[in-house]
Amino acid sequence: MKVLVIEDERVLAEGICGFLGKEGFVCEKVATYKDAVEKIHLYAYDCIIVDINLPDGIGFDLIEALKKVKSTAGIIVISARNAVEDKIRSLDLGSDDYLTKPFHLSELNARVKSIMRRRNFGGVNEIDFEEIKINFNSRKVFVGPREVQLSRKEYDLLIYFISNKEIALTKASMAEHLWGDNMDSADSFDILYSHVKNLRKKLTERGAHDYIHSIYGIGYKFGKS
Amino acid sequence: MKLQTRTNLNYILFSGITYIIVAVSFYIAIERVIYEEVDRRLLVEKRDFEHFIERNGSFDTRGYFVEDKIDVQVALSPRPIYFGDTLLLSRYDSQLIPFRQVSFDQKIGDELHRVNIRKSLIESDQLLKIITLVMLIVLCAGLFLLYVFQQRTSRKLWQPFYETLGRAKDFNVHQGERLILSPQMIYEFNELNIALNKMTDKILSDYQNLREFTENASHEIQTPLALINSRVEALIQDSGISGMHVAWIQDIHEATMRLSKLNHALLLLAKIENGQFQDAAFLDMKKIVESHLIGMEEMFALKSITVQSNLIEPFMISMNPVLADILITNLLNNVVKHSTKGGTTTIDLTSTRLSISNQGTLLTVDPLKLFERFQKENKATSSLGLGLAIVRKICEISNLRINYEYKEGVHTLTLDKYTQS
Repeated sequence: MKVLVIEDERVLAEGICGFLGKEGFVCEKVATYKDAVEKIHLYAYDCIIVDINLPDGIGFDLIEALKKVKSTAGIIVISARNAVEDKIRSLDLGSDDYLTKPFHLSELNARVKSIMRRRNFGGVNEIDFEEIKINFNSRKVFVGPREVQLSRKEYDLLIYFISNKEIALTKASMAEHLWGDNMDSADSFDILYSHVKNLRKKLTERGAHDYIHSIYGIGYKFGKS
Repeated sequence: MKLQTRTNLNYILFSGITYIIVAVSFYIAIERVIYEEVDRRLLVEKRDFEHFIERNGSFDTRGYFVEDKIDVQVALSPRPIYFGDTLLLSRYDSQLIPFRQVSFDQKIGDELHRVNIRKSLIESDQLLKIITLVMLIVLCAGLFLLYVFQQRTSRKLWQPFYETLGRAKDFNVHQGERLILSPQMIYEFNELNIALNKMTDKILSDYQNLREFTENASHEIQTPLALINSRVEALIQDSGISGMHVAWIQDIHEATMRLSKLNHALLLLAKIENGQFQDAAFLDMKKIVESHLIGMEEMFALKSITVQSNLIEPFMISMNPVLADILITNLLNNVVKHSTKGGTTTIDLTSTRLSISNQGTLLTVDPLKLFERFQKENKATSSLGLGLAIVRKICEISNLRINYEYKEGVHTLTLDKYTQS
């Protein structure tokens, strides 16, 4: 799957591409509006990550340009501006998501995957990880044939884990994913801990392996290793 | 005291004193003139008398019927000519009448006689009084007319000034509207308007610059923070890093996130202060509180806080929806943060009042400074210390009054809707 990152900060663009590259995406990056327009017209992408403030243009115009060429690519806007108007505007223009800088790369990864799922799987929207199966339409989770009853937060947490397999996830990024940035971090870490504990318990009770690994001082990693 | 009243008062006082002085001196001057005139006439009559004596040799007062006109008596000793005032009783009614008289010695036959020739001053006295009175009346009428005229003209003259004053009072830097004062005919007012226009334009542009600076600075800070974060996250993924370094990296990561949150909060405060949340909607606070309570259930559960919510009736208010959301989030977060474990939180809501109380220990922070920035109850927590500052700012611009009270181990924050009166 091809991703285009339109971001003028080289280090950030590299960071995004490095992260997404490891996740199996083919990632290209451009730093200017002009180059972005050229790429959009030449190639088809599955997902486009666009910064609003570019040295020679505004990201909003790129979204419009994409819609004009009837691109089916998912669009994620990243911006330093945490303004509601900007969020509304970019969603109105047809982008799929909006992330305020600074964001966690794992969060971006989860959002890209979420968009990919919504776009590519059409009617059948399921994902398998070993013996765990998630049906996105019905929001149901199965271990083998048996359904696991998860709370909303536990389900969100599992999706976040599945989207970031084999990636060390910080507690901060997980808390923010679940509660947004309104939560006081110290308190949310405690709740996060209990959610993780419950999720782990529910999955293993149904016979799944314990895929959630704690990493001391950082957070958790989901995976076989 | 209005400038106009002050000027008028001064004017009246000054005119009054002047008029009294003028009237007195006028009276004295006229009196003098009259005396001189009478004295001259008396001298003429004296000559006539002397002439009469010279021709006839004697004088008989009986033929002289005009009252007390001439009085001839035998003089005991000679005396030089003398002018004087005297009062004589009227022959018909017992009234004292002022007279001017000239006394001189005259030989009639061989005897020396003292002759007093008199002239009644009653007419001239009355004349003098009437003239003075008329003059005073005319002057007073003039003064009154002048006062009325000045009152009228000054109201009109000062009109542009009061207009400028009114506009200047209404000037609000937050609205960002220029103070436009039209040119005036009067030089001073025109200068005033020009100066005010210049000043407010400068204030506006400075304010605008500051606003832009705050916002731009905050945005510019976000990008490097994003860079640090992306690198730190990459480092976290790097399996070649030892345990201690991982902890360090985690510290960097948390510090960065904290900085970013702080920046967001400050930016939010700046934006509220700049009035960038103007669009208001008619909201029901009750619904907002209800939905937030559901969203925060797990937070309350974690700290075993019992929530007693008495949301009696809708609390309708016209305010920005984003701010309403932030307001309630911050208030409830505040409760979770400062409530004692296992305590009870009471949330009461009526149509004009929302009060949220929680159990907790006495504040170490001065309650008056509670709503200031960076006033943290517990310095060690990761709290930013901006929550209540934001709450207060939101209240300020949303016609809400916020109060804090501590009573018997219970902290209560009350939001009251300003009633339009």
